[in-house]
Parts: sequence; structure tokens; C-alpha cells
Amino acid sequence: MIFGMALMTFILIIFAVLAGLYMAWNIGANDVANSMATAVGAKAITLRQAVLIAAVLNFLGAVFLGSDVKHTLERGIVNVDKIGDAHSIMLGFLASIIAAAIFVTLSTWKELPVSTTHAIIGGITGFGLVTGGADVIIWKKLGEVAMSWIISPISGAVIAYIVFRSIVHFVFASGKPAEAAKKFGPLFIGLTFFIISLSLFTKTHLGDVLFTGMNQIMLVSLAVFVVSTIAGIFIVGEMTIGKGYEAVEYLFKRLQIITSCYVALSHGANDVANAIAPLSVVLTTALKDTSIVDSNFSYYLLALGGAGIAAGILTWGYKVIRTLGSKITALTNTRGFSVDFGTATTVLVASRLGLPISTSHTVVGAVIGVGLARGLEAVDLSVVKKIIYSWAFTIPASMALSIIIYKGLMIVF
Amino acid sequence: MSGKEVRSRAPIADTYRKKSPFAGLLEHMDKVKECVTILEKALVKYYKGDIDNFSEPANKISELEHEADLIKGNIRSHLPSSILMPIDKKYFIWLLREQDAILDHAENLAQLMDMRRTVVPIKLKELFIEHTHLVAETVSEMEKAVSKVKDLVESSFVRKDRDEVKKYIHNVHRKEWEADQKKYELTKEIYKMEKELAPMDVYHLLKIADWTDDIADHAENVADWLRAMVAK
Repeated sequence: MIFGMALMTFILIIFAVLAGLYMAWNIGANDVANSMATAVGAKAITLRQAVLIAAVLNFLGAVFLGSDVKHTLERGIVNVDKIGDAHSIMLGFLASIIAAAIFVTLSTWKELPVSTTHAIIGGITGFGLVTGGADVIIWKKLGEVAMSWIISPISGAVIAYIVFRSIVHFVFASGKPAEAAKKFGPLFIGLTFFIISLSLFTKTHLGDVLFTGMNQIMLVSLAVFVVSTIAGIFIVGEMTIGKGYEAVEYLFKRLQIITSCYVALSHGANDVANAIAPLSVVLTTALKDTSIVDSNFSYYLLALGGAGIAAGILTWGYKVIRTLGSKITALTNTRGFSVDFGTATTVLVASRLGLPISTSHTVVGAVIGVGLARGLEAVDLSVVKKIIYSWAFTIPASMALSIIIYKGLMIVF
Repeated sequence: MSGKEVRSRAPIADTYRKKSPFAGLLEHMDKVKECVTILEKALVKYYKGDIDNFSEPANKISELEHEADLIKGNIRSHLPSSILMPIDKKYFIWLLREQDAILDHAENLAQLMDMRRTVVPIKLKELFIEHTHLVAETVSEMEKAVSKVKDLVESSFVRKDRDEVKKYIHNVHRKEWEADQKKYELTKEIYKMEKELAPMDVYHLLKIADWTDDIADHAENVADWLRAMVAK
């Protein structure tokens, strides 16, 4: 007995923590780059700034906005109550996270556009099927999640399309584009903060503590909108940016710093669960009779996941950001801004709806959206085919892997 | 490991083309510009009597034509069918092709000038020089129009940029028409002198006039494809 628990349980917990942290590290090392690279490629932020923004805001997003997706992964895919047996549940979630970790590592090495989200959900579904059969899978929720994988890139595309066309219509097409940009830019900054504010306070712990109802939250968010728009007007008003299209890009370069933060925040909110939810199930099941599991336990875990992601960014992710950033230099700031806004809004809304989606695929959707809005010189649509193949391949492969590992763990433990 | 690319499973990098097709187009256009400038100077010198020194410009033009070919090949090999462009890709490729045809014709003409040193009769000198200038001006108007693609792409083809391009395109047509008129005049003069001149001289002079004029025709074709590109 160690700390009052069986040796086997202790070993199991160690495994789960290591696997969970490894997944978090992996997200930081790899996936964060995908969403930060637009800003670095467009030279809106330096590599150092990107790393700092990504690390801090992924952490904050994970802690304050990560709980909905975490909840979905814990209880929304597999009905753990129907399985009942705590031992199977622990081993199952451990198996799914190990399966996802292995699968994601292999796909990184092979450079396949595989989503950690898809891998972990494949893993959870796989073990669920072998423990309790089709009955324990919550098909309705799984169907919603699968739909969200198709809808999220489309949503990213549609929002980015609309944002970019608005920039064209209100800024480029106007007689004085630089001045038009000064009016238009702050409005989007206001909108960004409005959406963040709504997400932060609606049906969250933070919102419950601070406000009493939806009306208050709406009012506060509107105030945030007004204040940040005015602040934006002041900041932008101070800038001497010259004339013409170059001036417009220069202004959006500054605005992109904010949308980069927005992307990082949303990313943390959605992706932390991929690493932390299975770990959370293992820990809460193993420790459910101890004093460790209290009402704040979930936040500690989200913070752990956020820290893992940040560690991934700081130790490895910066290299990937650098590589990707140098590959996408063709992106100018107005385009980068549109891509960022489309991506972050989609991912944040999905996070608050508890839908685990792929940020990477949403970014690609947003880029294509700008391309369809005639905003990019050349977009390679063959990436879409690659992504669809990766969907079709990831789910069965991670399911199979999870089942094999689960069976193996059952023999050992 | 420093400097070496790291592996990632991020699809974002596959979405973009590292090389911008429009930047390539402008790079190609710069070669056209350089080439036509050299040709114009060399022709004028020739018409003024310096008929023995065409080898150097002919070689230089050949070199430029080759460099431009490499640029063209590079652009086209980076435009597989999966590429989405803000304009119809067909138009872009045709535009590039016509722009390249200017270089081909310039090269042919330069080599022709180097092959046979035909003395240009005094009466025709001025007409030849004027025609050469008009052809060069047609190309330079075309260059102005093509250069505008940078703004077009940046603003995503807003009306005011499209209108400006149309204005330049109009100038190309006007210059090309003037060049045509001059060539008509020139050809007429050559036929008038057919009794005085050796038949081979007549043939050669007509050929020079034709091939010079071809350059303006292809510049006009470039403008036409550009017009199709900016059409709504």
C-alpha cells in the first residue's frame, strides 16, 4: 500500500498522469503552432512574442474556458455509469489516452494532418465498445461531435470569408483605405472582446461568482465592447500609418496581435480536454473517496493541462512555429486577421458548446474561406483531401489501438 | 539540429504556396522590360547606320529569354490543378504565355538582325525608328497595366483598381493601333521602293517590320487576357 492505496492503482495513476502530460505537451509542441503560424508568417508578431502569447493565453483559456469540452470527453462519449466497474473505466480511459498519444506521435513523425481531438475520441469510443458494447456509447452526442468536425472548418471558412469581404468592402474599396481601416479596425477589436467576455461569463464558474443573470452578463459584455472599441479608436488614432494599401496592412499588423491572443485563448479552451479529460476520469475514479477530489479539483487539472501545453510550446513548439511561419509568408495581415478571427470565434463558440473540434482543421477552413473571398494568391485545396483522409483513418486506427492497449492493460492490472 | 526543419502534423503549411504566382508574373515582366529596352536601343542604332554590332544585343536578349523561360516554368510548375486563385487560372496562364511570346519574338528579331546586315534606305530610316518606338511604348503601357496586379491582388480586385487597369489596357490598345498605322505606312514605302532595292533586301525589310510589329501584337494580347482577368 502506498498513500493508502493499492500499488497497482498507484502505478496506474502515475501512468495516467504521464500520458496526460505527454498529450498536453504534444498539443503545445505541435498544434499550437498551426494556429499561431499565421501571425508569425504575416510578421505581426515575432517568434518570441508568439511563444509568450501562446503559452500564457493557452493556459488561461484552458483554466477558464476548458471545462465544457472536458465534460463532454469525460461523460459525453461513453456512459461511464452504464459500465459501472471502476477498474474497467480507469483502464479504459488510460488506454484511450495512451492510444491517442502513440497515434499522434506516429502521425507527427509521418507528418499527417491528424487531430488530437479525433484521436482521443476514437480511443474513448474504442474502449467503450469493447467494455460495454454499443449500448454504452452515447451515439447522439458522438453524432453531434462528428457533425461539429465537419461544421467547424466550414464555420471558420464562412466567418473568415465575411470578415475579409468586409475589409475589402469597407476598407480597400473606399476612397481613403488607410482612414477607413482606422474606423473599421477598432470595431473588430470591440467585437473580439465582446465574444471573449460573453464566453468567459456565460454559464461558467467565473460568471456565477460575479453576476446574477444573463442580462447582467450581456450588459457587461456590451460595456466591454464599447470600452474596447473606444480604446481601439484611441490606440489606432495615435498611429501615423501613411496612405494606401501598405498603411492598411500596417494597421492590421497591429490588430493581429490581438487576434493572435484570441486564437491562443480559444485553442487552450478547446484542446486542453484532449489531454486532461481522460486523466481526470482516471484520477477521480481512483481517488473518489479521498479529500483530494473537491470542487476545485477540476480546475487544478485544467491548470495542469494548461501548464503542459505551455511547456510543450516552450520546449518544442517554438521550433514548429518558426518552421511553419517561414512557410506561410505569402499571408498578409488583413488576411491573417481574417483567418485568426474566423478560427478563434469558431473554436471559442465550439468550446463553450462543449464540442471538441480540431483547431488545426478550422484554421485550414478559415484560410480557404479567405481564398474563396479572392483574398489569396494561391491556396492549395489538395490539403482538404488530406484532411478528409486523416478523418477517415484516425478514428478506426485510434479505436483499434485503444482496444489493443485496453486488452493488454486488463491482463497486466 | 538547428536550421533543420522540424516534423509536424500541421496542415497549415500545405495550404499555401511558397512562391506567389503574381510575384513570378512581375518577375517575368521585368525580363520583358529589360529585353525590349535593349532591343529598342539596338534597333535604333542599327537604323542609324551601325549595322555590324547586333551580336552583342542578340546574345543578351537570348540570355534574358532563357532566364524568363525558367521563371515561367517555375510559375507553371507551382500551379497544379488543386490550386485556387482569386482569378480564373486559365487567364493567368494565357497571360503569362503571351507575355513570354514577346520575348520569343524579340529573340527571333534580334537573331534575324544579326544574321543579315541589310542597309536601311535613308528614306525609310525615320519610319523604322518611329515604328520601333511605338512598339516599345506599347510594351511599356502593357507593363504599367500588368504592374497593377500587385494592387489588384492586395485589394482583392476592388472596382477602383480594376478601373485603373482598364485605363492602362485602353492605352495599350491605342499604342498598338498607332504602331499598326506606322507599320502600314512603312510597308507601303517599302513596296514603293521595290524597283530600287534588291529583292532580298525588300524581303528582309518587310520581315523586320513584321516581326517588330508582332511584339506589339503580343503586348496587346497580354492586355486582353488581363482584361478578362479583371472582368467581374
